[in-house]
Amino acid sequence: MEIELEINDVERTVEASKSDSLLDVLRRNGYTGAKRGCDTGACGFCTVHVDGEPVKSCVEPVTKVRDASVRTIEGLGEQDDLHPVQQAFVDNTALQCGFCIPGMIMRSTALLETNPNPTEQEVREALSDNLCRCTGYKKIVEAVLDAAERMNSDTAVAADGGQAVDGDGGAGAGTECSLGGCDCMEGDQ
Amino acid sequence: MSNDDETPKADGGTASQSETVEDGRSEEHPLEWDEPENNDKAPDERDSVSHRTEKYDDRKLVTGQAKYTADYEERYPDLAYAAVVRSDIPHGHVTDIDTSAAEAMDGVDAVLTPESDAVPDTKYTSAGQSYPEPSPWDMHVLNKHVRYIGDPIAAVAAEDRATATAAVEAIEVSYEEYDYVTDPEDAFDEDAPQLFEGSEVENEIVGHDYDCNRMAHIGGELGDVDAALDGHTHVHETEWETIRQSHANVEKHTSLAYTNEDDRHVLITSTQVPNHTRRQLAHLFDIPIRDIRVTKPRVGGGFGGKQAMVVEPIPLALSLATDRPVLYEASREEEFYAMRSRHPMKVKARTAVTDDGDIEAIDIYALSNTGAYGSHGMTVAGNVGSKPMPLYSKVPNARFEADIVHTNTPQTGAMRGYGAPQGTLALEGHLDEVARDLGLDPIEFRRRHHMEVGDLDEIAGMMGGEGANRRIRSCGLDECIERGKDAIGYDDLEQPDEDHLHRGIGMALSAQGTGVAGDELGAAQIMMNEDGSFHLQVGGVDIGTGADTAFLQIAAEVLGCDEDDIIVKSSDTDVTPFDYGAYASSTTYISGMAVKKAAEDAKARILDWGAKLLDEPVGDLETGDGTVYSETSGDSVTLEDIGYEAAYGDDEREHILGKGTHCTEESPPPFAAQFADVTVDETTGEFEVHKLVVAVDCGVAINPGMAEGQIEGANHMSYEMAVSDGITLDEKGRAEVADFDEYGLPSATETPPIESILVETHEPTGPFGAKSVAEVPTNTVPPALSNAVRDAVGVRIREMPITAEKIKTKLDERET
Repeated sequence: MEIELEINDVERTVEASKSDSLLDVLRRNGYTGAKRGCDTGACGFCTVHVDGEPVKSCVEPVTKVRDASVRTIEGLGEQDDLHPVQQAFVDNTALQCGFCIPGMIMRSTALLETNPNPTEQEVREALSDNLCRCTGYKKIVEAVLDAAERMNSDTAVAADGGQAVDGDGGAGAGTECSLGGCDCMEGDQ
Repeated sequence: MSNDDETPKADGGTASQSETVEDGRSEEHPLEWDEPENNDKAPDERDSVSHRTEKYDDRKLVTGQAKYTADYEERYPDLAYAAVVRSDIPHGHVTDIDTSAAEAMDGVDAVLTPESDAVPDTKYTSAGQSYPEPSPWDMHVLNKHVRYIGDPIAAVAAEDRATATAAVEAIEVSYEEYDYVTDPEDAFDEDAPQLFEGSEVENEIVGHDYDCNRMAHIGGELGDVDAALDGHTHVHETEWETIRQSHANVEKHTSLAYTNEDDRHVLITSTQVPNHTRRQLAHLFDIPIRDIRVTKPRVGGGFGGKQAMVVEPIPLALSLATDRPVLYEASREEEFYAMRSRHPMKVKARTAVTDDGDIEAIDIYALSNTGAYGSHGMTVAGNVGSKPMPLYSKVPNARFEADIVHTNTPQTGAMRGYGAPQGTLALEGHLDEVARDLGLDPIEFRRRHHMEVGDLDEIAGMMGGEGANRRIRSCGLDECIERGKDAIGYDDLEQPDEDHLHRGIGMALSAQGTGVAGDELGAAQIMMNEDGSFHLQVGGVDIGTGADTAFLQIAAEVLGCDEDDIIVKSSDTDVTPFDYGAYASSTTYISGMAVKKAAEDAKARILDWGAKLLDEPVGDLETGDGTVYSETSGDSVTLEDIGYEAAYGDDEREHILGKGTHCTEESPPPFAAQFADVTVDETTGEFEVHKLVVAVDCGVAINPGMAEGQIEGANHMSYEMAVSDGITLDEKGRAEVADFDEYGLPSATETPPIESILVETHEPTGPFGAKSVAEVPTNTVPPALSNAVRDAVGVRIREMPITAEKIKTKLDERET
């Protein structure tokens, strides 16, 4: 069957079978940033946004996302123009093998959209469904808190009518997004 | 082939019998080390090393552009998918495999059984170790004699994953069932069900006695332990038990095999050991080594679980049978029951201590459960003694022995720490207990005996291995202890107001090695491009640790170029120089030193060209900031100018190449001091870990951010060993864990705050003073937490994991 949906602001019609998960369809169509860790929703490596909400795509039937707007890690920032959350992960040495990281970053961006000033405990709770084997979470949590700070200072500058400036380690990657550096990095020209 | 009469030069060094330390060792292992001047740079002279350089692959990883093995799927439109039929019974003989229904299914390309032509019947070990392998050849790719629930019997290749899975389900296996045994103490008996006839195993290991399921026995002694135990009043004996921990690699074992247009058999695979895997595949399939290409893309964690050829033969056999590329991606359930795990052990510790608190003897015995097969069995057990015991180098008498026993349970293998966590729990828990019994401060008690600079490590030496009598040339233990104490608040611990809550602090020390002494090889090549940039080709294997970045920093430090001007290509056996692989905490030290040598070789050629262009003597020149400059005239020429001149010059031309290869008899120990702060509720036994602090001496941290990450991650894994059940088994040895939901990998909310402290020393044998970092903090949380609980409420938990129930039981016992 064919499923129509929007992936990273692009309207797509994709081939799918009834039993496919959203992850199956994403990976088959080249969005391999979402990782297959368990197929049961237990690890969080496949986390993407569906209509702005973080969703574990391996247990999301593709039939449920008909006409939905899906955002994957590929739709966040580019290597030379990272989203502030991506930049904060890099600057804080928050990743090692990186396999859990796309899911971790999608979960973190979703958190910061609803809660731009989370406490450390709130970050830990938001990430508690996303496992990591390498880091012990410490630098990941620090990166998310750092990202919140960067995005808030960008917002403050933009709201002030000024140009966002490059902060430490190129935090200005989110300058196009004047409303919290969220997921509106593309297609907003 | 047999290792019976030899001293296997195993990971960490173990020997068939005790050896006395020969005279003249101190001359063989002098304290002074002939260190090149450029290796010992003051912190402010380091341009790249010691900087928090951005990890080489990070931008690709955070944007989802990095490729792991399964991400290559889309490149092969003709790809077939593999699935495996595994034993449902703990022990037996396969009498029939009915594949007819599977073979009749649409979309099934091949069904392989032990009888199929494409399936090798050669014996082998999956352990990815040096050669000759210090593990027994006791495995087959597909099995008729099955020895645990999970043993592979048949394999399928199909058009898609669902068809492959359905075909596996359609295969009917009939068995003749045998008696089985799952407990190692029961198994270690001539009357127990026997897993192997001795004649079934090739390359047997020292001390094997298959009549009682023993695959190896090892040991060594320094001095006279029995005499010391007889002569002292304070003899303590304690027994400890560790869990069967899963690597829980986030990326499952995944391997893609095909034969390309040049008739080369290619494996894109998630491995820590590309060169060993190539050699092992050549052995199994009787294909020349040169015709196999093993290449490693990004790897989603290894931790030892991929220091083994766990899955590669299956997609290769299926690919040869179908003439198609085949991808095998293990399921998460298979990860827990059919891949590898940490050896569960029972470890006994005994000491003899004088009235003055001097330790006269340490005696350790380990019974290791290697599961159905013997990969890494002997060498892991050897490290139970050879890693933790040398910490107490002032102790005159020491003995270690281990029996490694088969059971009908899932396979074990290498795992971060490699035996040291089991030994460290026993020794550090034991010494804490002794100190408390004798009324001594546990820290001061350790301080009187621990290793320091100048010591000759005779305790590791007692178990053999050429390089095991190490001279200690760097040791930051005292500073680790002091800074750890400060960070945890050791001297000003406040008790909770509530009477039923008690707070305590426990500590533990640890040492590891840096590579396998006398049994490592790394190599690298650097090619200069005409624009002054470089290609670094290195066999060293980045499994997510950041090794590529460390290589880059080492090369940039030597070449004096911008880090962005180096392209790293690692771990492709057709292209990159040879390397033993990522294990034994060797990568930065061994492969990194090979990179340094390659860079120095290239630099010598660069300076030569610089001398020509600047018309000044080589001795006056140095590299830095992307130039060759004269320290006398101040003139300089860019690396780009040199690159163009070398490639396109009028008179003379040269491709500037640097080569480096490194092996060593040295394996300097990194050190750790671990602290745990816990509050225990004496009414329930429930406890809360407020903080873990671990201070680590890893020499010079090539990249401090990455080193901290290694320490924090290792401590998280170590914490799991202290508080989680691991992979539990039912009565038949079937794993009761099939998914992350059922496995106790601590989540972000379940992980206590971890503070890592880098204590910098300078190790003269390592690149720019570095030694290893990634394993030593894996060893320490179980003893530190056991010691903290003891400190808080006075009861001792020796059997991991530490649970509220066990504490409560002990508290109740104490009251009655």
